[in-house]
Amino acid sequence: MNTAFMTALAEPNRMRIVELLRDGPCPVGEIAVKLRIRQPQASKHLRVLNDAGLVVVHPVAQQRIYQLQPKAFEELDNWVETFRRIWQTRLDNLDEYFQELKEEQKRDNK
Amino acid sequence: MTDTQTNLQKEDLVITRILDAPIEMVWKAWTDPKQVIRWWGPKYYISPTCEIDLREGGKFIFCMRAPKDQGGQDSYTAGIYEKIVPMERLEFTQSLSDKDGKKIDPAGAGMPPDFPKEMRMVIGFKAKGTMTELTITVYGFVAGQMYLYALAGWQQSIDKLAESLAKA
Repeated sequence: MNTAFMTALAEPNRMRIVELLRDGPCPVGEIAVKLRIRQPQASKHLRVLNDAGLVVVHPVAQQRIYQLQPKAFEELDNWVETFRRIWQTRLDNLDEYFQELKEEQKRDNK
Repeated sequence: MTDTQTNLQKEDLVITRILDAPIEMVWKAWTDPKQVIRWWGPKYYISPTCEIDLREGGKFIFCMRAPKDQGGQDSYTAGIYEKIVPMERLEFTQSLSDKDGKKIDPAGAGMPPDFPKEMRMVIGFKAKGTMTELTITVYGFVAGQMYLYALAGWQQSIDKLAESLAKA
């Protein structure tokens, strides 16, 4: 996880662009229209996302078509997964602890 | 605010589990320090000490000792209880700390630079007959902070934070 990635996503319009591109590649003009911002602004945001490795651009005829780079998001998912695993293990421990408690109670009741 | 919801929203992680124990037992496991030490840490770690001041604004501090073959050192986690509703809800912050409960920089403790400096947990308890449904929501370890800054339009804070992360 690098800081360029986090900075890139910390801006609401850039988050919205990422959301949009999850549905598929999109030319810059259409991105601007959907976000209701001016095209130069859209281009500026896309450049930041491009520099952070989150999107890639393919020129097709006269258009610049932007597309999400899934690899960057895979890294983020892995990061989240690390924490999820810590919690799953902790809850497994909690499960086992309750089993022990119940057995202790059974023994004490004899 | 009409912002779209994304996977990088403020709540970074939600985990739900049904535990085979009645709700009072589960609540006690989370709030009695003698019980917390029996399940909180990773396998083969022991928890020599745990102090809990169970009230809103009260602190907790928790020690974990690594097994000998992993160095045997002690590390501390500390935090503050923000909301306590018995048998229902427990909210607290959590950070790496020194033995007195003072927050430390995780990078100084050998953690990677993007390790979160503080996380917030909301634990929900719901009775399901003789069992309990536990919901754990963790805030603050992805772009959580930056997302909040972005929403408030604090671009300067974002730049400063990015700068300090780059230095860490």
